[in-house]
Amino acid sequence: MTPGGLLAVAGAGLAVGILCAGKYPRLWLGATLAGALAAFGAAVLALGNVVVWDWKPGFVLGGEAVHLRLDGLSAFFLVLLSFLGGAGALYASEYWSEKEHPASAPGGRGWWNGLILNMGLVLLCANGLHLLIVWELYSICAYFLITRERQLRETRAAGWLYLASSHVALVFLLAFFALLAARTGSWELGPMRERAGLEPLFWFALLGFGLKAGVFPMHVWLPSAHSNAPSHVSAIFSGVTIKMGIYGIMRFSGWLPTPVSAGWVVAGLGVASAVLGVAFALGQHDLKRLLAYHSVENIGIILIGLGFALIAQEHGHAAWGRLALAGALLHVWNHGLFKALLFLGAGSVLHATGTREMSRLGGLWRAMPWTASLFALGATAIAGLPPLNGFVSEWLVYLGLFDAVGGRGTTACAAVFAAVALGVTGALALACFVKVCGVVFLGQARSELGEDVHECGWRMRLPMLAIGTACATIGLAPVLFWPALTVAASAWQPGMGDAVSSAPLVQLGAFHLALAAGVVLGVTLLWAKVRRNGMSRAETWGCGYHAPTPRIQYTAGSFAWIITGWFGWILRPERHSHLPQGTFPAHADFEEHTPETVLEGVVEPTGLAVMRVSTAVRRLQHGRVQSYIFYLLLGLAALAILAVTKGVP
Amino acid sequence: MTRAIFILLRLAVWLAAAPLLPGIINKVKAWVAGRRGPPVLQLYYDLAKLWRKGVVLSTTVSPAHAAGPALAWVALAGAALLLPVGPTLSFRGDALLFVYLLALARFGMALAALDTGSAFEGMGAAREVSYAVLAEAAIITALLTLCVQSGSVTLATMLAPSAGAGAALLAAGLFGVLLAENCRVPFDDPNTHLELTMIHEAMVLDHSGPPLAVILHGASLKLLLFSVLLTEAALPLGELPPLEAAGALAAAVLMVAVAAGLVESLLARLAFRRVPLLLTTAFLLCLFALLAAWKGGVA
Repeated sequence: MTPGGLLAVAGAGLAVGILCAGKYPRLWLGATLAGALAAFGAAVLALGNVVVWDWKPGFVLGGEAVHLRLDGLSAFFLVLLSFLGGAGALYASEYWSEKEHPASAPGGRGWWNGLILNMGLVLLCANGLHLLIVWELYSICAYFLITRERQLRETRAAGWLYLASSHVALVFLLAFFALLAARTGSWELGPMRERAGLEPLFWFALLGFGLKAGVFPMHVWLPSAHSNAPSHVSAIFSGVTIKMGIYGIMRFSGWLPTPVSAGWVVAGLGVASAVLGVAFALGQHDLKRLLAYHSVENIGIILIGLGFALIAQEHGHAAWGRLALAGALLHVWNHGLFKALLFLGAGSVLHATGTREMSRLGGLWRAMPWTASLFALGATAIAGLPPLNGFVSEWLVYLGLFDAVGGRGTTACAAVFAAVALGVTGALALACFVKVCGVVFLGQARSELGEDVHECGWRMRLPMLAIGTACATIGLAPVLFWPALTVAASAWQPGMGDAVSSAPLVQLGAFHLALAAGVVLGVTLLWAKVRRNGMSRAETWGCGYHAPTPRIQYTAGSFAWIITGWFGWILRPERHSHLPQGTFPAHADFEEHTPETVLEGVVEPTGLAVMRVSTAVRRLQHGRVQSYIFYLLLGLAALAILAVTKGVP
Repeated sequence: MTRAIFILLRLAVWLAAAPLLPGIINKVKAWVAGRRGPPVLQLYYDLAKLWRKGVVLSTTVSPAHAAGPALAWVALAGAALLLPVGPTLSFRGDALLFVYLLALARFGMALAALDTGSAFEGMGAAREVSYAVLAEAAIITALLTLCVQSGSVTLATMLAPSAGAGAALLAAGLFGVLLAENCRVPFDDPNTHLELTMIHEAMVLDHSGPPLAVILHGASLKLLLFSVLLTEAALPLGELPPLEAAGALAAAVLMVAVAAGLVESLLARLAFRRVPLLLTTAFLLCLFALLAAWKGGVA
């Protein structure tokens, strides 16, 4: 079958899914999975055969001829979309089931398919006008998915913030596509790097797509949207939806000429997003909000790679740029995979315990061994540790940066800065995920979680297992995915895909395999030795204290205390405490909260100021005709005075 | 084939020699204090004893309590496999793999510590992962220096020549990182008896028997890895004939151990709030080494 046929099947499957979402959940699941599988097949075919699928059926929509196109870059993103779209649908069938959410489950299924379908079309559309339309449609689907629990005030607020930010982004994108159409004379999109005069348009694209990608400081909508949506929705959001922004930036930095400073700005935004994203994550106590901030971090890592690819372009497509680009592209997949895994795991925790507050959780490994192990796998991957996939993409970006340092000059200075920032980000992410895994899954429960804490069922576990396997496969056999990276990189810009040897990747994969085998062997041998030597059980050492309670344990806040202190200048954590006083202290408490610095410190004051000015101006309009005539007279008088003093004829 | 045997043999030498270093440091400390001190081979005796002992497990712990130390040890052994002297298992980018293997070891240890639910071990783990952020910045800068010097991202090529103009700066910076990452004075006191002030020791309070042996051996291996890295980065060992290089390496590592012992005898440990300052100093030293390497290369 050709990619076109498969894509038609995919579209039909998703559309059928929308139709039967209301009444027939099983049919919906079947149709959606079939559609996702077909889309996956089409994307793999397009990546494997290196042919660009181009389809112009000849009919007109909204005054523009329909033009769909699947090339290496869009196929690369489509692989991720279809994989996570299918996995999320299966997960949702248990997580957001008819029984538990009778009112919102049918709608959730329909909007899910709408989201997947429209994101797929964003990847396929080669016409600016149509791209804008499907872009808006997917944003609306996403809004309805976020607000599944709209009886909660917090969720409604998150939804509104998302909708507002989406439309601010849309304003920039409208400007971008309209100006592009005005300058080229057509809404058709395609490679036009040689056309002069299009460079400044890149800034509009960066603002519009960057806002949707959640780049710091334009990430204000992201944490609340991701934490209040149902978890399978958070997974697709973090995994794919924000990647649409990355797709936009990549697509149009590849197709259009870019300003000279584009690479510097992108890399700078990347460094800021990476370091500050993870710093904010460390300050969070809400499991899903923490994961949401890690999306900002990983978008940053992707942008560092892309930024240096753009800088390399100014140096005649230097080889280090290709490595950085390959790292950025692979990180798109990797982040999509491990972040979806982590959000699905967090959903499993939420489903079992009913809370996202880490300071109430603990010791969940007993009740939920599958979730705990898969979450730990995802945590190892996101912390960029070998032998999993997160390390492979970060390693590629590092290789690019290290080679750039060898080149000397300003680029080298920037690369030193970026490499150190990447190292710091990695160490901070490690700290953050030690905190999450330790506080949520290890130790003892910090509050009464009730008796019904349970492991998730197979339909939730299976998607997590599939995604976990994908993480491990990319980590252990990275070279298998190199051809896909080359195809996507040359689709970004011709010449970016070739002549980088994949040999180190083979050796890295071999080392990873040996390491994984060593770890399995080491753990087994040590455990066998422990069992042979005999073991006894006792209470955890409490420094001589004999009445320990689970509340003595370190919490998420205390674990991150040192690092949140270092980043206090931007996190501005709010701490309230009543310290124990007197000889027999009765009451003491401590509370810590990390505000949304950018939202509460910049966006909200600006919005309020605009509101205040608008309200003041509104007083002029009150419906009294006499005053309106007075305004007219005033205006005329002013014009007359102007005319007389300036001497206009 | 001979190369594979050589590499495995070298790994065996690293693993076997590692427990010597803490013994030497303790001997130096004892001499300075005018005591006789424990024998240099004390850690070997301890390890042998622990390996035979039974295990007391906390009622709270999960399988991660034993799996963490095993993971950490394997990661450190993997890092040892990458460290070159003579023919080695090297490929482009293995320097970064080396750094991230050390991070993997930290991940395993910190999780095993949090597993007990003890506040002391929580403290230890929090300190370990927090200070590592600054140490990581310093190590990446050191690697960048070596990369500028040699134009390569392969450990074998990076470590063969000396660090050139900035060798002394780099050695000083890496020595700071060595002390911090291995929890020596002035960052941490391996002999402290107060749980509240520990880093590494606090993380292993609840470990016993074979897992504790694995942790102690892993810690000594990490100390050896850092000493060898420091030595090879600063001295042009790769340019000597193999035997002399091995001799020079042994002598230099011995000197590093003696230096660590002297620091431990002559300095008090720092207050925790000063630790970041000292680590930042180490980072800056590495950064100056980078600048020196840059200038040295141009001239």
